[in-house]
Amino acid sequence: MQSSAANLLVLVPLLPLLGAVCTVLLGRRLGPRAHVPAVAGIGAAAAVALLLLLGTANQVGGRHADPTHPVEPVEMISTLWQWATVGDARSGDLPAAEAGVPIAPGTAVSGGTFSIPVALRLDPLTATLLMVITGVGLLVAIYSIGYMHDDPGYPRFFALVAMFVFSMSMLVAASNFLLVYVFWEAVGACSYLLIGFWYTKPEAARAAKKAFLVNRVGDFGLAIAVFLLWMTYGTLNFHDTRLADGTFVEGILGQTRIADEAGYVAGAVGTAICLLMLLAACGKSAQMPLHVWLPDAMEGPTPASALIHAATMVTAGIYLITRSAPLFMGCPGALTMVSIVGATTALVAALIATVQNDLKRVLAYSTISQLGYMFVALGTGTMLGFTAAIFHLVTHAFFKALLFLGAGSVMHAMGGVIDMRRFGGLRHVMPITATTFLIGACALAGVPPFAGFFSKDEVLASLHAKAHPDAHGSDHGEAGGTPSGTGIDAGGVADRGVRPFRPASMTSRSSALASRAIGTTGTLSTTDHASTPEKVGLDALDHPSTWRLLFWMSLLTAGLTAFYTFRAVFMTFTGPVRIPKEAGHHAHESPPAMTNPLLVLAALSALSGLVLFFTNALANFLAATPSLNAPAVLATAVKHAFHPDIAIQGTLAAAIGIAVAAIGHLGRRSDSPQMERYLGPLGALFANKFYFDQIYAALIVKPLEALALVTAFFDRAIVDGTVDAIGQVPLAWGSAIRRMQSGLVQRYALAGVVGVLAIVLALAWQLRP
Amino acid sequence: MNPFSPANHLILVILTPLVGALAAWLLGSRGVSAVRQSAAVTTLITLTGAVLLILRALPEVSAGHAFAVSEGPWLVDGPFDIRFSLGLDGLSIWLFGLSALLSVTAVMVSWEAIKEKPVGFYALLLILESAMLGVFAARDVILFYVFFEFTLVPLFFLIGIWGHDDRRRAAVKFFIYTLAGSVLAFLGLLTIVLWSASHTGMLSFDIAKLTAGLAAHPLPMDARGGWLQWWVFLALFAGFAVKVPIVPFHTWLPLAHVEAPTGGSVDLAGVLLKIGIYGFLRFSLPMLPEATAAAAPWMLGLGVVGILYGALVALAQSDLKRLIAYSSVSHMGYCVMGIAALEPVAVEGATLQLINHGLSAAGLFALVGMIYERYHTRSIANLGGIAARAPWLAFMFILFTFSSIGLPGLNGFVGEFMVLLGSFQRAWSGVAFEWRTSYLTMAVAAVVGVVLGAWYMLWAVERVFFGASRQPPGDHGHAPPSTADHGAGGDDSHGHGHGPAAAEPTDDLRWYEWVALAPLALFVLWIGLFPATFLAPSAAAVRTAMAPGAAAFAARMGAVPDGSPVTQTAQADAAPTLPGTAIVPSDPPLTAGFERIP
Repeated sequence: MQSSAANLLVLVPLLPLLGAVCTVLLGRRLGPRAHVPAVAGIGAAAAVALLLLLGTANQVGGRHADPTHPVEPVEMISTLWQWATVGDARSGDLPAAEAGVPIAPGTAVSGGTFSIPVALRLDPLTATLLMVITGVGLLVAIYSIGYMHDDPGYPRFFALVAMFVFSMSMLVAASNFLLVYVFWEAVGACSYLLIGFWYTKPEAARAAKKAFLVNRVGDFGLAIAVFLLWMTYGTLNFHDTRLADGTFVEGILGQTRIADEAGYVAGAVGTAICLLMLLAACGKSAQMPLHVWLPDAMEGPTPASALIHAATMVTAGIYLITRSAPLFMGCPGALTMVSIVGATTALVAALIATVQNDLKRVLAYSTISQLGYMFVALGTGTMLGFTAAIFHLVTHAFFKALLFLGAGSVMHAMGGVIDMRRFGGLRHVMPITATTFLIGACALAGVPPFAGFFSKDEVLASLHAKAHPDAHGSDHGEAGGTPSGTGIDAGGVADRGVRPFRPASMTSRSSALASRAIGTTGTLSTTDHASTPEKVGLDALDHPSTWRLLFWMSLLTAGLTAFYTFRAVFMTFTGPVRIPKEAGHHAHESPPAMTNPLLVLAALSALSGLVLFFTNALANFLAATPSLNAPAVLATAVKHAFHPDIAIQGTLAAAIGIAVAAIGHLGRRSDSPQMERYLGPLGALFANKFYFDQIYAALIVKPLEALALVTAFFDRAIVDGTVDAIGQVPLAWGSAIRRMQSGLVQRYALAGVVGVLAIVLALAWQLRP
Repeated sequence: MNPFSPANHLILVILTPLVGALAAWLLGSRGVSAVRQSAAVTTLITLTGAVLLILRALPEVSAGHAFAVSEGPWLVDGPFDIRFSLGLDGLSIWLFGLSALLSVTAVMVSWEAIKEKPVGFYALLLILESAMLGVFAARDVILFYVFFEFTLVPLFFLIGIWGHDDRRRAAVKFFIYTLAGSVLAFLGLLTIVLWSASHTGMLSFDIAKLTAGLAAHPLPMDARGGWLQWWVFLALFAGFAVKVPIVPFHTWLPLAHVEAPTGGSVDLAGVLLKIGIYGFLRFSLPMLPEATAAAAPWMLGLGVVGILYGALVALAQSDLKRLIAYSSVSHMGYCVMGIAALEPVAVEGATLQLINHGLSAAGLFALVGMIYERYHTRSIANLGGIAARAPWLAFMFILFTFSSIGLPGLNGFVGEFMVLLGSFQRAWSGVAFEWRTSYLTMAVAAVVGVVLGAWYMLWAVERVFFGASRQPPGDHGHAPPSTADHGAGGDDSHGHGHGPAAAEPTDDLRWYEWVALAPLALFVLWIGLFPATFLAPSAAAVRTAMAPGAAAFAARMGAVPDGSPVTQTAQADAAPTLPGTAIVPSDPPLTAGFERIP
């Protein structure tokens, strides 16, 4: 099972990659059938992903009964090849000639072997996300056959989409932080090329560059986080490995370390790692303050927006934090920051979305807002929060892809027009698009019983539990607690202490080495306080009042979400039929290649939440992920329950939002005066997206450009000027020497050699034995 | 005597381009195409020979031995032990291969560009190839210096004769600047030779013997000995820093690149800059460990300054070739940083980064040359929308751009990542407490350089390849009609039909350009996906080269930095002394151990 599943796993990224390569090689020859390799590759990958999902579910098996009881983690690793290995500097790695040379202390600083295997993993989290990526990817690819059919870049588009599916599957399947970083940037590169797909449009080219650069800022955080992880844990692997020489290396997210309650570094270093990861996640998942690239990314083709900038790539940040859950558990301050960032982003993006008139931008801000929702849930640091985030990720992938593809369908029919004020009443023109869009909107707005209602309910419930720790029964006792320090007997504490920076590869479980390690680190931990985890100032944020505030922010966001979603629905599909002149005479429903994926996604958006919530299958399944099997996470597991109080609050918020939207827009001309005229100065603030772009331009871009100009001037005038001035010195030596300045290089060279010889002789005389 | 013995194989590979230069000269009367074909054949034969040699050498080299060593005695008599000594080892093997590979590129990018005096051009290019191969194969100080200087002369003429408008100034500046540095370096090397001779009684120029000799009798690094080691280090630094170039000794580079013909730029950026770092690894680190250790923080600082400074200046350039020249300055900063970090991961990364930069910079310079041939301008403001007219050219440029900005999966990432990782490791656990903040700051600043690097390169890509296609002034009807109004319709241009269909890709890569770029692209991917293939053969030699420097650095840092259990536990089984108390004495045992090396 293990090996065959692992072999199958390789196929998930491999098949789309083959599709991409075939499309590149055969693109021109295939002509209008250039989509075949890509669609086939992604389709086959989706089939394999389904098999893997079922296989993994089978392994997790009948342990569904009670989430409060620990489940056995399920994890399969398949190592493909060794990417890079740098052995440490200790003896044995040195060439034979120096084998006997003792290495002075301080040279053997590398904490073990820097070994990066290209290893893939299969666990419930990965299996779930692979299914979402390939499934939505397949639907989007099929949709694109219709949407992109007369585009001259047709083969290029499919090659890029297949390439993206490859990179994204690798990102969630990689079992190593370095590989995660690799594909973290690789999906960014695919995104760059897809945003800039219509590269002759200057806005598209600019948006692509912006996306890449903003993401690079996030990548900067991830890079440093990876460096710190390496320094702290001495490996970058997720899983436990055994080196060629038999050394056992505890992976950062390996089962040995996860089971070890003191396995993770807390305090300043741990918090720094978590915050840097949060920065990275903010970049990729478009959270404040790095969210500015996503709305501009709508310059890309709509199917790409649906797949990359709504359903999959932007959820990479959520994946990263979920995967690194054990790292975060010891840093309540960092966790709270995740929620604060998420809630703020969710609210701000929702406010901006209320006044956008470009349908795709409404959806873009809605994506930012919903991703913020997932961050809020992650930040609670509870089993419920993590599973709710992934639950919302899955349902969001369905309904947001549906909404984007619906918007694409509208755009397709309207001749490329996407400004909602220029069309209206389209439900008469394109009924399938209108119906499916409405289903997606209901799911997004959280109308029961559509998918978004249930996942949003879980998110709010996880927040509520943190905000009212007493109200949720005794099994919540450790919800806000920190992992280390609980349940370790005194001897264990004394043995392990707080162990910042200790690389795992150096941590033999033998008592001799352990005591030596204590001997060396003993100065850092005072024995009598060893059980108290290191606190950082940020941890003070983790307080019920913070969570209460976040809960209300999220509830407000839910209302706003319902408002802007239905505002878009009413503006686009109700009111008198109006069609822009660009659409010509062929404003009609889209072809089946486009509407069929819409129907599938609509079914998923309508039903997936209901099914997944009442069976609780997803949460039980995910609980078998090693990362969520950390004792600290398990301790927060609660019985699966429906929360009628929260459901009522959420539904009420959605109802109010929809009602306000209906008052303002239902059945009206979409170019009639907007509701934002009641907002006063706030309207301008929202319409200008809280002036983020302007602030960045003024604070970062312009100063850096000015600095670049100054540096270039300095380089030319001062640095090169000095060189030239020194070069002029010989000229001032007078006419006698001037004749030597013949410009003949041979003569210069001769002079140089003569001079050298003279100095050699002088030195030889000096140094004679 | 076996003509195919490794030693002869190596000599044959180095001599082949010289023979080819002669052939080009003899074929001169037959016209351009005969000359360039002969040059292409010569470089291909040389490349084949080099590849075969590398394949033969890999097992030996991976084990840390030198391969294909030839020792023709020049003057072996009495106290003189001067030999003509060639060979390859882990430090040089990939640079040797890179020289052979890029020579093919240099010839192919000149295919149509050089119509004037082709004989001289191709002959010089081939002589340059010989010199480049020789400098990496030299195992002898004199030979190294001869080849080192020998690379200057052909390039001087290549720039001075076939360059652009300001070629004479560029050539003279390049030559004088580099010569001035290298003469100082030679003085330093001679001091080493004489110091060694004064202790062993044998005047030898052999690098291995010198290294061993200096390990036994290090140059004095104190006031009593006149700080001789320090002075020698500075002399070598002068030569190598100019060559790398380390900021602020870099101003010859942009000028030389902008004025050089494409073929010259490819060799200059791809290979010649690497000699500087190679020199540090070959001479400074193993021979002058204490001085290297003393200078390491400052060199690291210069590396970081170079990264940021090069990136900022690049951001302000309006000439595409100048921009890439400054990106070279920035990227060589990573190499400087890597060797100055004195960490195994970082030094191995820097060694690999030499190759990576060689590939990506050579590719980018070649592509700039191709753009110039088509549109007769390198001004970023005058170019635009090339992707529509030459999609494969754009593809290649974006590929090498991604490689250059360190996109994972491609080669540039590997070296950059390892250098940065090593620097962090050094900052975290390898320096004395008072250095820690500055080291961490430098490491973080270098990571900022990664963001800046993406900025200027993507800015250039956006301006040159994307956007509306435009006809550069001075373009004499090469390009199809301007499509400047294409796709500029704001919101309305969402959707369909706004792709590059209007412009037929008539300006795309020609076959000889494919020959120039495809091998580079192949290696860009290969190194990115399987870096271990390229790291492993160099590892042993890199360790040997850096070990004295790293040991001296550790001694200098007071052995064990404060609060660094990584170091402490790492040493737990290696060092009997308790970390924290172990201050390495002024005469570290490591250097004593080197006496055993013959």
